[in-house]
Amino acid sequence: MVSSGTAIRLGVLSRHNTALMLREPGPVVSRLVMPLVMILLFRPLYLSALARHGVQAGTVQVVTGMLVMFSLLALSVVGTAILTERTWGTWDRLRATSVRSGELLATKALPGFGMLAAQQAEVLLFGVVVFGLRVADPFLLAVAVISWALALLGIGAALGATLRSQSELNMAYDIGGVVLSALGGALIPLSVLPGWARAAAPASPGYWAMSALRSALQGQAGATLRAAAVLLAVAAVTAALGTWRMTRGWSRSRSL
Amino acid sequence: MPGVGAISGAGGVPGAGPASGVAALSGAQGDGQVTGLVAEGLVKRYGRSVALDGFALSVSPGEIVGLVGHNGAGKTTFVEIVSGLIRPDAGRVSVAGVDVLAQPRQARARLGVCPQETSLYPRLTVAEHLRLFGALAGLRRGTLRRAVTSIAEQLCLTEVLDRPAGLLSGGQRKRTQAATALVAERPVLLLDEPTAGADPQTRRALLTVVADRASAGAAVVYTTHYLPELAELGATLAVARAGRVISRGGQRSLLAGLAGEVRVGFAGPVPAGLRRLGQVDGTAGDELRVVTSDAPAALARLLAAGAAPVSIDIRRPGLDDLYAALTP
Repeated sequence: MVSSGTAIRLGVLSRHNTALMLREPGPVVSRLVMPLVMILLFRPLYLSALARHGVQAGTVQVVTGMLVMFSLLALSVVGTAILTERTWGTWDRLRATSVRSGELLATKALPGFGMLAAQQAEVLLFGVVVFGLRVADPFLLAVAVISWALALLGIGAALGATLRSQSELNMAYDIGGVVLSALGGALIPLSVLPGWARAAAPASPGYWAMSALRSALQGQAGATLRAAAVLLAVAAVTAALGTWRMTRGWSRSRSL
Repeated sequence: MPGVGAISGAGGVPGAGPASGVAALSGAQGDGQVTGLVAEGLVKRYGRSVALDGFALSVSPGEIVGLVGHNGAGKTTFVEIVSGLIRPDAGRVSVAGVDVLAQPRQARARLGVCPQETSLYPRLTVAEHLRLFGALAGLRRGTLRRAVTSIAEQLCLTEVLDRPAGLLSGGQRKRTQAATALVAERPVLLLDEPTAGADPQTRRALLTVVADRASAGAAVVYTTHYLPELAELGATLAVARAGRVISRGGQRSLLAGLAGEVRVGFAGPVPAGLRRLGQVDGTAGDELRVVTSDAPAALARLLAAGAAPVSIDIRRPGLDDLYAALTP
């Protein structure tokens, strides 16, 4: 049971964090627009590459692949939101109030979750409306989207709480985003990847996101839930790491 | 001016359960004794570096303690521990009767903190900052609106309430930062160099509000390098060095016994017979400077020795002398 005081604090902080995100809309707009552009440009390539599997296979690959890659890149919105609070010193201002650390983290993550969910919904809707992407089970797809968004939030929070500067964060997102996307089969279908990359693929959350989304689109409940469970485990571990790091704080005596 | 009761109750206490309710907020213990802020034996180490080494300080409600000391003396580490931002390796702290380590959130609910470095959201307006911190302190609707209006007036921010913090002048930013700490009345205030780099208007406005809050019953810790401010606030002093408070008391008692200065000017060079009584100074060797803790007696000796001064300047010992004497 959430007390009225807690509910009010959560409301105040959620509004505050949403306002912060909307006052700097550039990164959000770019993460929403770019995947659509890339799907339009790359779809013919994927259709051609996967021609022997049919048109739907190419569409599924380009839509889910761009979704995973650009949602990984959208991690920067979550991580930057935390890092900028640290560099501005405002995170410690909030910590010095009667707000709990968990409340701070949850309300900081909420607008990010909304953005990530909106991004995925937008890409999937684009695939359905423009290219006739077939969704066998919308409920399973929602499970896949939510579990992937939570995993992304956890990873973003852990990076934002751990790394020391915007340049470190950018490096992590650029390299990590591309590597995890590629390993997950988002850029190139897994079947085309070299053997060592296929063996390493399950280490990438992107692999499980692709698996969850693809399985959900095909209505395969078992595979979807299995992949979603892995993503939720990633979310739990990374969120715990981020919370632990934030609870410790960043004294002047340490970097940042 | 609001009374102690106003500070004790204003805004409610988010998260303060029945066990730590109004009595604890007001700083009153069960026996009626009022607590303010109490820190005992605080130790904080960073590797081999010792930031606090048995730091102890108590501040009564209504008292302003000027916490002074060189950079690195431990002032800000102390503020961070009381604010709940870092945990000490040893020692204990209570805020208005609530143990900071055992009940950190309840303790923070009784605390107003203005950190040393200005920490604002560049894209949020002054009003949004004040509403945010007021709301997080438990103020609601009409109370929040009145508190925002009031603190903005007191700190000369009314004209810039709708301006984003990133577009404020340095002084306005300082005042906004302080206003976020003062928008809700709290029984304990921690102000860490709130006027550093501030213009005279900012300094004047802040000192007035701080004095008002202390008059209303708040226990105030005010760290600064501007010692005249403390005299203006009528603050008692705590001098920190190497992570501990090495001297504590009223300004008068701490200044007693410190040497001041008597400067006696002559029409020409200082007469030879008087030179043994002090140090010859002045551009033409026409001034005698006597360092003494008893200016009248020193002056009497000079006059008895035949001095015929054209000017006499007596400087009583001040906080700078105390600071210099205690923190070599």
